[in-house]
Amino acid sequence: MAEHLFQFVIWCVALLVLMVLLWLVYGLLDHGLAKLSFEFLLSEPQNAGRDGGIISILVATLLILAVTLLAALPLGLASAVWLAEFTATHHFWARKVRLALDVMAGVPSIVFGLFGYAFFGIFMGMGFSVLSGGLTLACMILPVFIRTCEIGLRGVNNSWRQGAAALGMPKIKAVWYILLPAAMPAISAGLILGIGRATAETAALMFTSGYVDRMPESVMDSGRALSVHIYDLSMNVTGGDAAAQASALLLLMIIIVLNMLAYAVTDLWLGRRLSNDLA
Amino acid sequence: MKLTLSFICLMCLSGLTQADNRLNLTGSSTVAPVVMEIAKRFESVNPGVRVDVQTGGSTRGVVDSRTGMADIGMVSRALKTNESDLTAHTIARDGVSIIVHGSNDIMELSEAEIIAIYIGKITNWSEVGGEDRRITVVNKADGRATLELFLAHFSLKNSQIKAQAVIGDNQQGIKTVSGNPGAIGYVSIGAAEYEQSVGTSIKLLPMNGVAANMQTLANGEFPISRPLNLVTKSLTPLSQQFIEFAQSPAVADLIKAQYFVPASR
Repeated sequence: MAEHLFQFVIWCVALLVLMVLLWLVYGLLDHGLAKLSFEFLLSEPQNAGRDGGIISILVATLLILAVTLLAALPLGLASAVWLAEFTATHHFWARKVRLALDVMAGVPSIVFGLFGYAFFGIFMGMGFSVLSGGLTLACMILPVFIRTCEIGLRGVNNSWRQGAAALGMPKIKAVWYILLPAAMPAISAGLILGIGRATAETAALMFTSGYVDRMPESVMDSGRALSVHIYDLSMNVTGGDAAAQASALLLLMIIIVLNMLAYAVTDLWLGRRLSNDLA
Repeated sequence: MKLTLSFICLMCLSGLTQADNRLNLTGSSTVAPVVMEIAKRFESVNPGVRVDVQTGGSTRGVVDSRTGMADIGMVSRALKTNESDLTAHTIARDGVSIIVHGSNDIMELSEAEIIAIYIGKITNWSEVGGEDRRITVVNKADGRATLELFLAHFSLKNSQIKAQAVIGDNQQGIKTVSGNPGAIGYVSIGAAEYEQSVGTSIKLLPMNGVAANMQTLANGEFPISRPLNLVTKSLTPLSQQFIEFAQSPAVADLIKAQYFVPASR
C-alpha cells in the first residue's frame, strides 16, 4: 500500500513539473503565435519594436552566442583537462581554482554585466559591442561548463587511462583521442546548460552588447539580444506586448533547436572519433 | 589565434576611425525607445552618421555624459541642483492624469480627496459627491516611472496605498478602469487621451483646476509632469545637430507615437 502511494506521489510530482513547462509553452503559443510569421522573422524592428520584425535582433543574438562559444569552448575544455588529468585532486592550485569556479558560478549575472562593462567595454576599449557581450557571457558560463566537463572526465574509467599508457600513448593524445570523447555526454550537457544560460541572459547584456536594434555590421557593433528586446518591449514600450510574446516564443524555439544541435554536433565530433578509432 | 587577434585589432581600429560621425547616447529607459526612433530618422536624413542608443537609467545618463562615455545623456526628470554642470535640452514631456470610468459623474477631485481615496480613508464615491458606489483603487506596480511621479507629487509612500488592483503599463491601467464603473487610476496622459479619442470609456480628471490634455502638458501648466531631457556637458557640432533635430517638428510624430508630448519651443 505504502509502495503504491509512494509511486503515485512520484508520478504526480513529475507530472506537475511537466505541467509547468506545458503551461508556459501554451501561454506563449496563445499570445505570440498570431504575430509570429516569416515577415516578422525577416524584417527590421520599427516603432520601438511594436511593428516590423526582429531580423537584426536575431542576427545579433546568434553573433553574441557564436562569440561566447568560440571563447568558452577551448578555454573551458583546456581548464577541465588540466583540473582532471594534469593535477592531483588535492593539488593546492587545483583546489583554489575549483573554489574560484564554484564562487563564480553563483555570482548573479548583473555582476558579470557590470564587470564586462568595466573590463571589456571600458578597460579593453570594446565599448558597447557584440564582442564585449559575447566575452562577458563566456565568463559567465565558463564555471559551470568547466566543472561539468571536469566531472565528466573524472568519471571515465581509470582502465582507459592505463590502457593508453600501456600502449605508449603520450598523455596529450590519450586526452584528445580517448578521454575527451569518452566524457562527451558530460561535455554536451555542460554546453547545453551554457547555451541555455547565455541565450536567456538579459542583465549581463544590457551594459555590454547594448540596446541598439540596428543590424550589426561587425562584432564591434552594438547589437540587441532577443532577451533584452523582450524585456524592453514588455517593460518600456506601451503596446509592445504582442511583439514581446512573439519574440519570447521564438526565443524558446531557438533554445530548443540549439540544444538539439549541440547534442548532434558533440555526437558527431567526439562520438564518431571514439567509435572509429577504437573499432 | 594570432590571426583572430589581428582581426579583432583591425576591427577596433576601423571602429575608431568612424568615431567622428558617430554619436553615443545612454540613459533613461523611458526615453530610450523614443530617442531610438528619432535616431533612426536622423541617420536616414544624414547618411554616414551613426547614432547608438543605450539604456541603463537616468543616473547612467548623467554619469556617462559627465565622463564623456556618452556624447549625450538621456534623463527622464528635471536636472537636480547638483547637476548644474550639465545642460538639459527638453525634447518631450510625460504627464500623469487621474482617470475614472466614463460614466462616473465626478467632475473634479481635490488633491486631499485623491490622497484619502488612495490611502483607503474614502471608499465610496458618495463621500466625494458622486453616486453610491464602492471605489476600486488601481495602483501601478513597483518600479514604474508613473508610480514614482504619482507618489512624489502627492508625497505618498507606496506602502501607504491600499489598492484593489495593481497593474503594469498604461494600456492595462486604461483597460482596468474602463471595465469597472467604480475604478480610479492614473496613467500617462498621452496614452489616456489617445484611448479616449478612439472611444474607450474613461474620463481624465483635471488637477488643481487644470485640464489634463496635451496642451496644458506641453506648456507646463499641468502639475503632475516631468520633462524628458537630453543632457550634455559640452556640445560637439554633431550632438548640437542631433539635439536640434530631436526638438524640431520633424520628429513630433515619433514622440506622439510613443505617447509623449513634444516639448513646446
